[in-house]
Amino acid sequence: MMTWFTRSLQARLLSMVLGSLLGVWLAALVLTWVDTRHELDELLDGHLVQSAAVLVAQYSSELEEDHGDGDPAAEDSSSHRRGHRSDDHRALKDAPVLHRYAPRVAFQVFHEGRLLLRSAQAPESAMVPLQPRLKDGFHTVQLTMATAVDRQAGRRHRDDAALPLLREPSEGAWRVFVSRGQAHDLLVMVAEEQASRSDILHALLRGSLGPLLLALPLIALLTWWSVRRAVAPLRELDRQLAKRQPQDLSPVRLPGAPSELEPALEALNGLLERIEALMAAERRFTADAAHELRTPIAAIRTQAQVALGEGDPDARHHALLATLQGCDRAGHLVQQLLTLSRLEGGAAPAMADLDLRGVARTVLAELAPQALRRGQSIELEADAACQVRGNEVLLAVLLRNLVDNASRYSPDGARVAVKLRAATDAVTLWVEDSGPGLAEADCQRLGERFFRVLGSERPGSGLGWSIVRRIAAVHAAVVQLGRSADLGGLSVQLRWPAAEARPSGH
Amino acid sequence: MRILLAEDDPQLGDGLRAGLRQRGFQVDWVRDGEAAERELRAEVHQAAVLDLGLPRKDGLDVLAGLRRSQVHLPVLVLTARDAVSDRVRGLDGGADDYVVKPVDLDELAARLRALVRRAHGQPQECLRAQGVMLDVAGRRVTLDGEEVTLSQREFDLLQALMLNAGRVLSREQIEQHVYSWGQEVESNALEVHIHHLRRKLGSGFIQTVRGVGYLVPRELPAG
Repeated sequence: MMTWFTRSLQARLLSMVLGSLLGVWLAALVLTWVDTRHELDELLDGHLVQSAAVLVAQYSSELEEDHGDGDPAAEDSSSHRRGHRSDDHRALKDAPVLHRYAPRVAFQVFHEGRLLLRSAQAPESAMVPLQPRLKDGFHTVQLTMATAVDRQAGRRHRDDAALPLLREPSEGAWRVFVSRGQAHDLLVMVAEEQASRSDILHALLRGSLGPLLLALPLIALLTWWSVRRAVAPLRELDRQLAKRQPQDLSPVRLPGAPSELEPALEALNGLLERIEALMAAERRFTADAAHELRTPIAAIRTQAQVALGEGDPDARHHALLATLQGCDRAGHLVQQLLTLSRLEGGAAPAMADLDLRGVARTVLAELAPQALRRGQSIELEADAACQVRGNEVLLAVLLRNLVDNASRYSPDGARVAVKLRAATDAVTLWVEDSGPGLAEADCQRLGERFFRVLGSERPGSGLGWSIVRRIAAVHAAVVQLGRSADLGGLSVQLRWPAAEARPSGH
Repeated sequence: MRILLAEDDPQLGDGLRAGLRQRGFQVDWVRDGEAAERELRAEVHQAAVLDLGLPRKDGLDVLAGLRRSQVHLPVLVLTARDAVSDRVRGLDGGADDYVVKPVDLDELAARLRALVRRAHGQPQECLRAQGVMLDVAGRRVTLDGEEVTLSQREFDLLQALMLNAGRVLSREQIEQHVYSWGQEVESNALEVHIHHLRRKLGSGFIQTVRGVGYLVPRELPAG
């Protein structure tokens, strides 16, 4: 599943588009959260400060009046008011609940450490413990609110149906602003429930998150659809390749393929083209091989049948001899075909440092009897060791083909010479003969499989040159054809440049 | 029966020539396409065995050239190209028969005889005229059911005349039928062979058209 997810283009595109969309949205949300929270804090803190300032101002002026008025009536009224305040302290705390948010705010007014006034849900004890060193400013405290509100007090406002009941006692974080009067020992605490701020924030986030949650499936669907459309050519390619026959190497056509797919398509078609060329070459080789094998076999069969029906002993002997020769020829052809197919299909042969002289001696010794039978002379000219890096078996095959060709296509009594020379820059091998040589056009066609020079009476497979060229290529040797200056016939030169050769100073 | 063999492979050509000679054919052997075309245009052979992969000129090109020049002599293509497409191309290209190597000599000889027979409008393997029956394949001749012994030359001469029953054959035409290359034609050999045939088959069997040649009258269909 994981590999499907990471490897499917469609799944990847889909997850990336949706993921990044979600990511951006969430980042925006966090930013909004932080920003709004900050602004909200400032605004509401400002309100707290403002409320505290109003209360401080009001009570400061009230207390000022009490202190400044010395007449008994005033004193009385003042004491009355004070008495009233201390006696009817409960009434004071029943500050009206005017808004549903009211339970979420509370205040306390203290004078000389005594509670003067508090809102309905404010506790009787100081929200922030009174200490001599209590500083002005904001405090965040855990409070259990509305414990002091009795049912009676709560119900008093129930006639106003718009206003909710005071909440059940609950504990929560409250933000408290503490402010002192300037002259008198007046202390005002204004508090607001932290949760109310969070509620505002939550409402805000819900507002912006909601549409996103609705839009996300829609966007996912749209993305899925467009990605699916975009990868449709890939599916079409898949379909075409899947139903393709192994022999079908025609180019893949994808009308309407996106430009991104074109290089891959071109590469694929290029590959198909190369495979087709390779297969065509293979087919041609097989057809050629079959063709070339059929003729020697037909010759053998015909000669054998002639021998069978021949009454004349001389004629029968001639036919039987031709049958034998045909067998040798077919055997030689099969051998050459196998060599060539091994060379073309096989892995790189094992290479070793070897002396070409040794290889040449072996091959010449092997071929000398057949040349001598035709009155041909065969010789080796090599003064120094000729070290090359190569495969001894393959080099022997190469040399055998060259010398055999030279002998085969030269008349009786001809000369065949193999020369070896080691110089500082290269090791060179020549195979020369005193035969008729080759015309320019034939030189060029030499090495085409099964090509035989016209008018040649000598039996040959037509594969020797293909083999020679192939082995030379494996050994990075350069093959050149020319006319022999000494013998007048064909001269084949093989040259190993210094990098491939190992000339030694013997 | 004289045929042209066009085959570039020395061993196969040698074998085919020897084998076809054993089976009573006069065989002329050429080794390239140009020589084959030249010889076939001379129209001295009754049939040809043509290899396709010939040097200098491909067998199919030779065949196409012949057919364009209205040379209708029967041609048997003998080749190593065995693909169906090759066979179709060969037959469409003017070949009368298409045989893939290797081939049995007896079969090849039978096919050649069939080709020649068909080319002369003779549906049967045996030629008949005035009580004389010539069995081409068996190289036998009977007169009114009785075996007549003929020399090879006499047989070839009779076959040429009977194949062309109703037509006058000139001395040259007869010699082309009967002798292949390198065979010495004695000056009065033809007259001698005709004389022998008349003696064996009845004097009226072969008629002379003075100054033109000889003929065997065509057998009129019975009834």
